[in-house]
Amino acid sequence: MKTLITIIMLIVSCAVQAQIVTSRNAKLSFFSEAPIENISAESNTGVSALDLSTKSVYFKVSMRSFLFKKSLMQEHFNENYMESDKYPYAEFNGKINEPIDLTKEGIYPVTVQGDLNIHGVTKNYNVKAELKVRGGEITANSTFPVKLADHGIKIPRLVIKNIAEIVQVTVAAQYKAESKEAAQSYSSPKKK
Amino acid sequence: MRTFPLLILFVFVCSLSLMAQNDLSKMFDEPVQAKEHIPVTATFKSPQIINGQSNETMHKHDLLFVVMHRFGDIAGSYGGMQTFYGLDNSSDILIGFDYGISDRWSFGIGRTKGAPNGTNTSQKQLFYLKTKYRLLRQSIDNSIPFSVTLFGNSVTSGMDRLNLITSDADFQKFSDRMSSVTQVIIARKFNDNFSLALLPTYVRRNYVSYMDMNNLYGLGIGGRLKVTHRMTVVADYFLSFRSQESKDYFLQQSGFRFYNPLGIGLEMETGGHVFNFIFTNSTAILENQFIPSTSSTWTKGGFRWGFSISRTFTLSKKSGS
Repeated sequence: MKTLITIIMLIVSCAVQAQIVTSRNAKLSFFSEAPIENISAESNTGVSALDLSTKSVYFKVSMRSFLFKKSLMQEHFNENYMESDKYPYAEFNGKINEPIDLTKEGIYPVTVQGDLNIHGVTKNYNVKAELKVRGGEITANSTFPVKLADHGIKIPRLVIKNIAEIVQVTVAAQYKAESKEAAQSYSSPKKK
Repeated sequence: MRTFPLLILFVFVCSLSLMAQNDLSKMFDEPVQAKEHIPVTATFKSPQIINGQSNETMHKHDLLFVVMHRFGDIAGSYGGMQTFYGLDNSSDILIGFDYGISDRWSFGIGRTKGAPNGTNTSQKQLFYLKTKYRLLRQSIDNSIPFSVTLFGNSVTSGMDRLNLITSDADFQKFSDRMSSVTQVIIARKFNDNFSLALLPTYVRRNYVSYMDMNNLYGLGIGGRLKVTHRMTVVADYFLSFRSQESKDYFLQQSGFRFYNPLGIGLEMETGGHVFNFIFTNSTAILENQFIPSTSSTWTKGGFRWGFSISRTFTLSKKSGS
């Protein structure tokens, strides 16, 4: 009997684990409109995970993976503003507020509350997002403003006309169910 | 009894799945960090430290327009109030362009006034071509601990032939007008605030005055120290390995002494513009002149104010992705 219960529990716990879907090529971009020139950059190498049972959401992106139109801008972004050597990643850890069932097809406008860490400074956000479940695939989209000053990113007075103080951030992720191997690999992280 | 290992397994799996639920970040620890050796950027902020080159080249399809200026002596017999501390004079002026063929390889072209010092160097009106290639780039994970950049230039004097047999401007043939510099720039960014460069240099001058040296070696050292977010202190110093024989000759013949050029300055960056504000005892801007024949010294007021202004233009039209 005990064995049976254990086995059932094991299956249940495995099932819980399988409810995590991930994306390894989440698209993150930002746009800032300023009097002199608009600045935009994009990264296609963000990672994200969505836990269907707990409705937890996670995003992570390497700052150096953002590509700009101008190489010099990219260098300034990493060097002067984001200090990417010191703070290589931006991370978001949050939870969907609404009680929704992501196993059913449909479009769900939701709000997500969580902590966004950029430039080593964490701030709590409550952002609007849209989740789409179709054909067993989940996609997530969200656009929200980030105020640079909130994350300790300073703009010198000299270039204040070149850079907007509030930047529109857009995230888009398409989720896949984690494969068994992948699920195992993060349970026991390998060191390279 | 058979249940016991199973129970352990259960607890183990449970704790793992719990961990996975509470902290989704754990899922990406490895794949994100396993990313390759990213090169260090901005060891220096511009292709030039002060007098010496830095390891930096232009980004691909970026064009740099640069103006460099060295005024006259601040103090000493040529300075002081009568020349408004050197501002009335200019010892050397450079106007040039640098262009990035790739992110590793750049070319430059320009002209300098040239800074003749009478006894040893008389060549003026210099046109230069230069090239710089990044051989190695220091990586963030230190798998490559330093950057190595190769630098070379070729300089031609466009001045009228000086009919003075003792000078190096008494050109007999075209190649007499030419000189070149070959340099290896070894640089390391120790942290966000501090970078250092070593510059072993070979200067070849095809035609020199009597007892001067056609082939001369030098060693430069340069550094950058960040003081505020936008402002850095830069400095460089060059040792020139001139033979004692040659030094003695010039000292005895014309009381002419050689000094090692030292430059100290402030560098300000305002996105696209780099401005540097310096003091140096070197009168010339090109390596071909200041390594062999810097003849003024800080201690006798033979130093000057200088500045360089550069502006980068992005010519590429690549899209954001």
